Amino acid sequence: MPGLLSPDGKESLVPFNLDLQKPSIHTLPHGLRPSLFRIHISWSRGNCLHVTCLRPPNEDGEGCGGKIAAVTLGGGEGGDLSDAQMRRVAYGSVPAFALLQSQKNVDIQLPRMVADTVRSQWWQHVLDYSNQIKALLGDAKYSPSSVIENPRTVLKPVGELTNLRAAWQLMEIFYADKHSLPWLPESLVDWLADYDSLISKVESTIHSKLTNLQKKLVNLQIVEDDPEYWEGISSALAVGWFDIVVKLLRLHGSYQLDQLDCRETENGLVETVAVLVSEMPRMRPNLSNGKLGQCYKSKSDFVKAWEKWRGHIAKLDCSAFWIQCANHQTRDGLKNMLQIMLGNINSITTYTCNWMELYISHFLYVRPLTAGFDGMLSLAQKCMDLKSISGSCVLTRLILGILGENTEVILAECSRTFGPWMVTHATELLTAENNEAELVLHGERYNLGGISIEELHRLVYAQILSSHTLTWQIAPTYLVSCPKQGLGFLEILLYKQPAHHYQMILKNLEICRLYELDSIGISVMKIAGMHHWKHGRKGFGIYWLQQAHDEVRLNRIANELFDCIGKSVSDDVFKQWEGLIELLGSEVGKAGGLEFLHKYRDFKRSIHLVQDKNSVDAAKSAVEFLMQLMKSPSTPQRFWLSLLHDSVKLLNWPIRPLLNVSQTNLLLNKLQELSMAKLHPGFCNTNLTSEATSSIRLALGANLGRAILEDC
Amino acid sequence: MHKWLETLDKGVVCCGWNYCGQRLVAGYIDGFVSIHDSTDPISVPSLIQSFRWKASEDVISNVIWVPPEYGDAIACVCIDGTVSLWEEVRTDDEPLSWKLCLQLEASNVQVLDLQLGVSSTSLLKMIIAYSDGHVKIYEFLDPLDLKKAQLQAEFPNVIDSVSNIRKASCVSASIAWNPRRDEIQHSTFVLGFSADLPQFNSAKIWEFDEAHQRWLPVAELALPEDKGDKVQSLAWAPNIGRPYEIIAVATWKGIAIWHVNMSSDSSSGHNSSKKVALLSDHDSEVWQLEWDMSGMTLASTGGDGMVRLWQSNLNGVWHEQAAIDCGAVQH
Repeated sequence: MPGLLSPDGKESLVPFNLDLQKPSIHTLPHGLRPSLFRIHISWSRGNCLHVTCLRPPNEDGEGCGGKIAAVTLGGGEGGDLSDAQMRRVAYGSVPAFALLQSQKNVDIQLPRMVADTVRSQWWQHVLDYSNQIKALLGDAKYSPSSVIENPRTVLKPVGELTNLRAAWQLMEIFYADKHSLPWLPESLVDWLADYDSLISKVESTIHSKLTNLQKKLVNLQIVEDDPEYWEGISSALAVGWFDIVVKLLRLHGSYQLDQLDCRETENGLVETVAVLVSEMPRMRPNLSNGKLGQCYKSKSDFVKAWEKWRGHIAKLDCSAFWIQCANHQTRDGLKNMLQIMLGNINSITTYTCNWMELYISHFLYVRPLTAGFDGMLSLAQKCMDLKSISGSCVLTRLILGILGENTEVILAECSRTFGPWMVTHATELLTAENNEAELVLHGERYNLGGISIEELHRLVYAQILSSHTLTWQIAPTYLVSCPKQGLGFLEILLYKQPAHHYQMILKNLEICRLYELDSIGISVMKIAGMHHWKHGRKGFGIYWLQQAHDEVRLNRIANELFDCIGKSVSDDVFKQWEGLIELLGSEVGKAGGLEFLHKYRDFKRSIHLVQDKNSVDAAKSAVEFLMQLMKSPSTPQRFWLSLLHDSVKLLNWPIRPLLNVSQTNLLLNKLQELSMAKLHPGFCNTNLTSEATSSIRLALGANLGRAILEDC
Repeated sequence: MHKWLETLDKGVVCCGWNYCGQRLVAGYIDGFVSIHDSTDPISVPSLIQSFRWKASEDVISNVIWVPPEYGDAIACVCIDGTVSLWEEVRTDDEPLSWKLCLQLEASNVQVLDLQLGVSSTSLLKMIIAYSDGHVKIYEFLDPLDLKKAQLQAEFPNVIDSVSNIRKASCVSASIAWNPRRDEIQHSTFVLGFSADLPQFNSAKIWEFDEAHQRWLPVAELALPEDKGDKVQSLAWAPNIGRPYEIIAVATWKGIAIWHVNMSSDSSSGHNSSKKVALLSDHDSEVWQLEWDMSGMTLASTGGDGMVRLWQSNLNGVWHEQAAIDCGAVQH
């Protein structure tokens, strides 16, 4: 696909690292020794390149002369998804994409007043689209609550599919889900709860800490004596996984019935903290099942509740009960929790593992009312300074691109990590009521051949789809959404499909019909017609050429048949060709040869029906066809004698003469003409014997006599 | 990601793929030609040799598929200058086989390149570039039969007719039809030579003037200082809707990318053209240039044993996107 880099990295819309400019080099281990003579290349469909390596042709030695490889270039990304998984996603996303495009087309046609209202609600269509795509990318694999509810359950490894989903959901939060914009920080809290495990592959995360704790809990008798227990609780609290925090707290030994009496104060403190945690005010409209906190939609209500809640925490922190708590681990653990809830930077920094967790912690306890991308970006940078992640994480880069409001960076990130599928589909999210992104993505660029970046990405994706026999059929959906170059691409794609396989041709033609690509449909039918004609399947050949209305070729075929029949006019030869004449039909032109063939066929059929003296109707129609043929200038002279010979039984009709005097005279004249023509050097003789000619002459004479008598 | 499809016998000199990338023809040093077919009617999991026959007494130097509207047929260029057309046919009496349709006998000059294309009038045309710097254009008037070719035109690849006086001596030539399948578009092709006379070399676009029934040069793809540069290879990109054509021309200086506006100023007979890039990573002779189906990626092969893939970025700057290392090359 067209890259985003320029040689010096300055002109580029996307300021990438210069190292990335180096082309990736793929080695083709052909094993041809000692060296090559030539390399031949040929593009197949899509981005599949056929590479043929040839050895010097006159060189002796072992081995073959050349090897042919199919090299598929680019498009293999998709976040390390397997080909089959990517195909499933590709197929699944077609209906959602097509629906969104058709909604767009409907909106364009609406009156201006209505359109303005509809456009303001456009993001809801985009959100529906996003949800459909998200469903294809699988469920969020990790649910923190499951760690505790089923302590023995080993978490399933998080696959790459989730990484793609995490990126998609992130973009949905920022671009498509306009409902959640007022509570953006809370949306990020939820997002991290689902995808924390993906933030770092090498370093520990809160998710990995809790996974380890879960394994340990099974064997722990007195949980509160283990520092990891308190660390796990504090970490979960730092990122707002309150359900886990409360469940872990309730595993505290003071809750056991036999200990309640002697550890009453300690238990009271644990429970108070648990209640405070579960009643934390949240600036969001609602919480999903099992999640804890008090929801507030209004900022003022939230601030009041938040102050009150923090007042409770501060009061508890200064309480005298701590002195009565004998278990210092419990005391320290709970005190740490209070510090986290009070937004103590040192505490939240200690109990989070990376900048993203620290970032979320800030939203929860330090700056719950953060709004605006600028504020969020500066906070992110601050958190990154405090807790950077070793190694580069795609999700981190993506978040920074989003917060930096840099559309090109976001697209480049999506493209590099997840490939053209992601870019093509995510563009819809980026442009949902986002004027700046729309300007960047929809602006036509001369350098791209007059198309927009959005169209370019769709073309690139369609090219990837075109490379595979299982996916090329969905490429048209994306190509027709490209206003400038989509149909041109589709024409080439259809032309390059093999036109020998019947089902394949039907599929191609269906696409041609759907998108009104008549000329390419005609080419496909011509190719199929010629292939079958040349391969001896003449009927099939004629059928497709007829469908293509290829008069030139059909007339040429008619002439060929005409020549074949003319060479020998026996009934056997005629039968052989009759089917083809039938197929040629009467619609195709008025070429002489074809017209004659049809009349000749009709005459032959009538003659066959004349079995005895009772079939007088068939005999009369045979006479009619005979006269038409003999009068027609398109009937070649070489057929006259055989026509007359076939007509002997008509001339000798027992009851009464079927031909009148003038008709008989016409036939006699034709016979005379033939006798004269025999003297010409170019005369084409038929296989009829001289006895046959005599019998015709005799029959004509007899008929003439009877006809004269009849007239009298 | 690569997959091996087939091995070719010893002595193979050249090869070519058909329109849908399912059939391959290979030409050999002993005058044989082989056809290799995909083992699947739709995809290409592997190839299998289906036919092999002796097409010539001498080395086959080039093999090209005829456009599919004319059936399954190939053109073979022999090193002695003979051109033969073969088609795959089945008759009532004989099984499927390859039959000779046409043979253009050798003259004193070698055939350097041959290209077949369907003209706007749906006639098959064949351009042959000879080692004397001339091209001959043949027309096949019968759409069902390739037995008869009529010489339509013959001219040298020069703009100034005075240059006709001398005949050039060329070692290679490259022809590319305008791939646009548009009935409004005139028949056009681009041609360049590697000749001893500089005026024959530069790539020139030739267009058929229907009114006067003759071929006219409408653009020269070389800057004034580069006009004598020998052309190693060239390729005309498929145009899926750009307002301009893209043509790649390889000379010793590198691969030049040209934007040509075919519709502008047609009254003067000249189209505006602009060189937009010069790509020079091969550091040796460029053997072949090939555009992908969208005209967005150019693949090139060269004497450095590499296949290089070139693309333009969003700013219109061309760069090498990827490369395939095929190993050492005999020099």
